[in-house]
Amino acid sequence: MKNIFLADDDADDREFFIDALKEVSIPTDIMLSNNGLELMKNLEILIQHPPPHVIFLDLNMPFKDGFQCLQEIRNTPKLKDIPVVIFSTSASDIFVDQTYEQGANYYIQKPTSFRLLVKSIEKVLTLEMWPSPRPQRENYILSIT
Amino acid sequence: MIRIQLAKALRSLAFLNTEKKKRAAELIIANKELVFQNDEKEKRAAELVIANKKLVVQNEEKEQKAAELIIANNELAFQNVEKEKRAAELVIANKKLVVQNEEKEQKAAELIIANKELAFQNEEKEKRAAELVIANKELAFQSDLKEKRATELIIANKELAFQNEEKEKRAAELVIANRELAFQSDLKEKRATELIIANKELESFTYISSHDLQEPLRKIQIFSARLIDDESQNLSEKGKSYVLGMSDASNRMQSLIRDLLGYSRTTTSEGKYVITNINTVIELVKKDFTETIAEKNATIKVVGVCDVQVIPFQFHQLIQNIIGNALKFSKPDLSPIIMVKSEIVKNTDVISDKQLSAQEYCHITITDNGIGFEPQFKDHIFELFKRLHDKDKIPGTGIGLAIVKKIVENHNGFITATSEINKGASFDIYIPSTLPL
Repeated sequence: MKNIFLADDDADDREFFIDALKEVSIPTDIMLSNNGLELMKNLEILIQHPPPHVIFLDLNMPFKDGFQCLQEIRNTPKLKDIPVVIFSTSASDIFVDQTYEQGANYYIQKPTSFRLLVKSIEKVLTLEMWPSPRPQRENYILSIT
Repeated sequence: MIRIQLAKALRSLAFLNTEKKKRAAELIIANKELVFQNDEKEKRAAELVIANKKLVVQNEEKEQKAAELIIANNELAFQNVEKEKRAAELVIANKKLVVQNEEKEQKAAELIIANKELAFQNEEKEKRAAELVIANKELAFQSDLKEKRATELIIANKELAFQNEEKEKRAAELVIANRELAFQSDLKEKRATELIIANKELESFTYISSHDLQEPLRKIQIFSARLIDDESQNLSEKGKSYVLGMSDASNRMQSLIRDLLGYSRTTTSEGKYVITNINTVIELVKKDFTETIAEKNATIKVVGVCDVQVIPFQFHQLIQNIIGNALKFSKPDLSPIIMVKSEIVKNTDVISDKQLSAQEYCHITITDNGIGFEPQFKDHIFELFKRLHDKDKIPGTGIGLAIVKKIVENHNGFITATSEINKGASFDIYIPSTLPL
């Protein structure tokens, strides 16, 4: 059972994600956060427990956005090694560059079909992200076809 | 006895006689002498009378003189008194002078010492003077040279004065021209400010299309796909075709947003220029189209080679869009043959009505055997959203060639297209082979 976190303010996207997880062959347990503040609180509670296998992090969120969460995670000793996969609608160069600089592990532009969403999550769950080093910049964006 | 006495008296008388005779003679002589003396004295007396008269005159004069002297004497006596007074004063002054004298002697002693010092200095100065004399001669020589030079300079000066006047005239003209330019400059600054504002608006538009527009679009895509995948058993055939139409439209909109983003990125992003071999770019583009090339049995021929300084990702996009079009607009019954020819040409060999900024250009010609287009559209095809075909038959956003043109212009180059309907199309791209200095 892989323990994963998702932080996304979009209810539809959270629902798509949960539905997609049901079709992923790897068994998972998901902890949902509606924004960055919630995510950081949830991470605090779980700090005593085994850390999550991966955090899927949306960028554009109210209260605390993905960039702020990423920075806090990487600056907190107990959290800094948790793999973070950016999960955003935008694939703007600025966002991609900034999150790579901040130490995210992979960047996924939210897929435009359910089928691709399932494949994306499956791909992330099979990746060895911890404790292996981060990919080179050219392999940072995960594209699923 | 009386005889003796007479004799004696006779002798005595005789003697007396003789004596008297002698005496008489002497007297005669004396008389004569006296007569002579008398004459003399008479002469003398006469002279004395004359002299006396003179003396009387002189006496009178002396008396006058004496009177004058008395007056003068009185004057002198007065002066004498004055002088005695003055003498007394002088005695006092003298004493003071004695004191002063002593002081001066001391001073003199000091001066003697100072004098010696000065004498020494004097010697030094004489030596220096001697040196200066030599230096002076040297300077005199130089002075001559300078005078010659000065003469030359005077001539040159006159020439410059003339030129100066000419320049002043020109300056006056320039002042007028300057005012005109300043006015124009103000207008341009206003325009530039307006452009900056417009540019910022465009940037925010880019952000909106890259994120905010994609978000709802993606939802439409996912929901419509899930309707088809999960709920198709609950839909009528008509319902299914509506959903598929919705899905198609949202996919087209996604392409539009993606291409628009690409177009705005070519305008706003600044790339780094790298010396690039054209043919390596073409090889990469061939890989991008591997599937299509195989599917359509297309051939891409490469002739010649160019090394150009370009922004690699932009140049890749440029070649990709043109070759992509050549594959897309192929004839259904004919395998596409695409020819990419490149060579370095001198600007004198370039036929164009454009201002050519570079000495040498890389001339790339991409020719296909596709459906082509009507010659009248040769310029319009580079316009944004310009499409020559029904989108049901050939999909597209009408942005691809607009991006191509933008990229070519970013590289200070230019592009032309020639075609006839059903006779293929040809694109001529000219890119400066080196960066402008």
